[in-house]
Amino acid sequence: MLAGLTEAVLVTGPVHPGGEEIVHAANPAAARLLPGLVVGTVVADAGYDALTDALVRARPGFEAEIDGRVLAARAVRLDEDGAVVDALTCWYLRDVTEERRGSASLVRAQARAQFLAEAGRALHGVLHLDRTLRTAVSLAAGVLAPTVLVMLADGSDTVRWARADGGESRPHTGELTRTALRSAPRLHEALVGRAPVDPWVTVELAELPVWNERPAGEVVVVPVPGALVQGVLVLVGPAADADALPLGEEYAVRVGTALSAAALYREQAHLGHVLQASLEPPPLPSDTAGGLLVGSAYRPARESLRVGGDFYEVLPRTDAGRTPFLLGDVCGKGIEAAVLSGRVRQSLHALRLVEQDPATLLRLLNVALLDAADLDAPGTPGAAVAMPRFATMVLGDAAGLPDGGSRLRLATGGHPPPYVLRADGRVEEVDVAGSLVGALRDAEVGAAEVVLAPGDTCLLYSDGVTEARGGPTGRDFYGEERLEAALAGCVGAPPQVICERVLQLLGGWLGGRDHDDVALLALQAPTGRRA
Amino acid sequence: MTAPTTSTTTLRAEYLDRLAASDEEGAIAVALTALDAGLDVEDVLLDVVAGAQREVGERWAAGTWTVVQEHIATHISERVVSAVTRHRPADPPTGVGRIAVACLDGEWHALPARLLAEVLARHGWEVTFLGSSVPAAQLAVHLHETGPDVVAVSSSLPSRLPAARRMVEACRASGVPIVAGGAAFGPAGEWATAVGADGWAPDARAAAALLAGTLPRRDDGRVDDASREEESLLRTRRPELVAWLAARVRAGYGTDPLSDDQLTDDLGHLVDFLAAAVYVDDPGLLARFVRWVGTVAVPGGLTREELRPAVDDLAARLADSPRTATLLRSEPVQEACSGTGVA
Repeated sequence: MLAGLTEAVLVTGPVHPGGEEIVHAANPAAARLLPGLVVGTVVADAGYDALTDALVRARPGFEAEIDGRVLAARAVRLDEDGAVVDALTCWYLRDVTEERRGSASLVRAQARAQFLAEAGRALHGVLHLDRTLRTAVSLAAGVLAPTVLVMLADGSDTVRWARADGGESRPHTGELTRTALRSAPRLHEALVGRAPVDPWVTVELAELPVWNERPAGEVVVVPVPGALVQGVLVLVGPAADADALPLGEEYAVRVGTALSAAALYREQAHLGHVLQASLEPPPLPSDTAGGLLVGSAYRPARESLRVGGDFYEVLPRTDAGRTPFLLGDVCGKGIEAAVLSGRVRQSLHALRLVEQDPATLLRLLNVALLDAADLDAPGTPGAAVAMPRFATMVLGDAAGLPDGGSRLRLATGGHPPPYVLRADGRVEEVDVAGSLVGALRDAEVGAAEVVLAPGDTCLLYSDGVTEARGGPTGRDFYGEERLEAALAGCVGAPPQVICERVLQLLGGWLGGRDHDDVALLALQAPTGRRA
Repeated sequence: MTAPTTSTTTLRAEYLDRLAASDEEGAIAVALTALDAGLDVEDVLLDVVAGAQREVGERWAAGTWTVVQEHIATHISERVVSAVTRHRPADPPTGVGRIAVACLDGEWHALPARLLAEVLARHGWEVTFLGSSVPAAQLAVHLHETGPDVVAVSSSLPSRLPAARRMVEACRASGVPIVAGGAAFGPAGEWATAVGADGWAPDARAAAALLAGTLPRRDDGRVDDASREEESLLRTRRPELVAWLAARVRAGYGTDPLSDDQLTDDLGHLVDFLAAAVYVDDPGLLARFVRWVGTVAVPGGLTREELRPAVDDLAARLADSPRTATLLRSEPVQEACSGTGVA
């Protein structure tokens, strides 16, 4: 009856009640799986420990590797239904070798996919070339191989490398010069993607000063492809399993994309930096006319940019013994506004060579901006970006007076009038007004003179201060009144402190809300003692 | 003239006198003379300058110094730090690593972070000081551009903790560990853990020691969906809550309570600290603020007697936000309002 079953069936039972377990029956399928079992012999003598153990402990089944096959067995006690002889056990056996092997490789494949996904996330979170390189070796060391090295050619004269030795916390990094690479011509070709990796590369690699100790054991070199940068991934030491090489290749592709993205970002960031540095407010000079003290504060609207449409500068003392200064606001925000503010400052630098009077300077600047705007007229490339064209500003210069005070000449176009904080705490608004700069050919320029006695301060500010919306309701302007009160509270403070104090009060008023660019410039006639 | 002293207690008192007199040159002279007498740069910066600045903060809180006097003192101390570093420049970096030091967004007191930067430079670090009030976006840009090994953030204001979390997230995205310091992160650094920072140090010396070892990667903190939701709701409702509280607290004064900037400032802080306490789910944070308000003497500001009604009104008005309401009614906060409990 059992002989016809394809499923392996085995019946065991005690030779007499309480006696040793013997084989009562085994169909041909069972005999194939467990050839050591002979009907009528003692089960334990066949030496199948898993079966013996399951019998002794009356287990419901077992799974074990026997003669290179994985067997799964299910036990059914025939006495349980009360029908048959006492204490017989029927074993249904199944060969599950293929199933188990399949799921083990599935587990490995899942682990690989997870490693690659996590590596992708970690690699792409970094846009810095050196950090990406270090991350690339740290992630792979101990997973792909005990020691992992990545070498990178980025078109420059040197090759960067990073190596991680599994178990160490920090990767090692370094640079190889072209001279150092002369001893490794095959590697160099492979690095720049001109030749495939061949066995010589491995030999050359071993000689390079990139190792703590010479690589022992297996060395696998995988090319790292990339649009902007190329390199090689080197795996040293016994591989974890047979899939290590394809996994290494997959990994190298991800490393290549991440490195190329980082290299591209580096180029763009450099470009941005150079432009930004030329647009940032220049540092304040220490050599000023009559020892005039200056302070400033600046908060662009888009803070990750660090530049904006407000601008200010104080120039070093001229040959005529004057300190020129400027604070203005381009109509617009962000990088476009910053570009125009740069144009305004450069134009003024040039115009100052021929003219020093602030009001005349401002009239000339007005014409210069209008002429430049005509050049930007629609039809010229780049006109798709609406460039801001107008600006408001206060510009002027300061000359020291014999009593230690300072005489300021001011010219303004469309800008909020400056304040003067007297040493005794009075706050006065300078009565000066003019029209927008860069809008009309016959613009009106306001001019005024202010005398600062020792300890008096003149504050120039942009409308980002007074028009900051905030306060208890979140909708009110900061306004002139609050600014005047803030200034009055700053008696005795040096100009830098005045600017920072106003900026801090403004920060409290805004309560974290968005704001326009804010710029402050304070000029103070020195008292006897500096503070 | 007697021999120059190297006693930091004596020097701190002399230095504080110069700050009180708004005497920049005098303050610089105290620091440089101490250096020439053999005192270590770190001791001058941390025990004399930072020590005196702590005293300045206490004088402001006690109402004996105005906020502008405090600003002037801080300004002078900034100049002193520059003078000290010019006088004794740090040696070139020794290769221990590169670190970015930044103040949290909204933290305008840069001096403690600047002192930390100076101290770390003297421990061999290559330091980039990003300055006061650094938005998380700016930090992220810096991480991509310069790839530091570690980031250190500083703040004295617990109300900036949500900003700290944004910085932690920027660092996690780039895989850079971040350490936190300053009073913002709690008396024992518990809120640094809450926002997921990888390490915490109470002062610059401890920070240098912490960074000299390897930083264990900590878990991701305990900022959860409820934290974000209720904190963001409080931030959105801040103007409305402040206006409503001002009217309740100073009802019957005859003046428009909204025109009282000092009161609305303080009520704004109350809402900010409440939001931060909700964010890290710790009533102790709000309780500390409430107790602190009770000890500060600022003319026109929120008084101790006005605190309990304000807190109770908030609890009633914010009943829809379970964590916020529970926190306002919690024992530590209620005790702080009555002026009992541990200071």
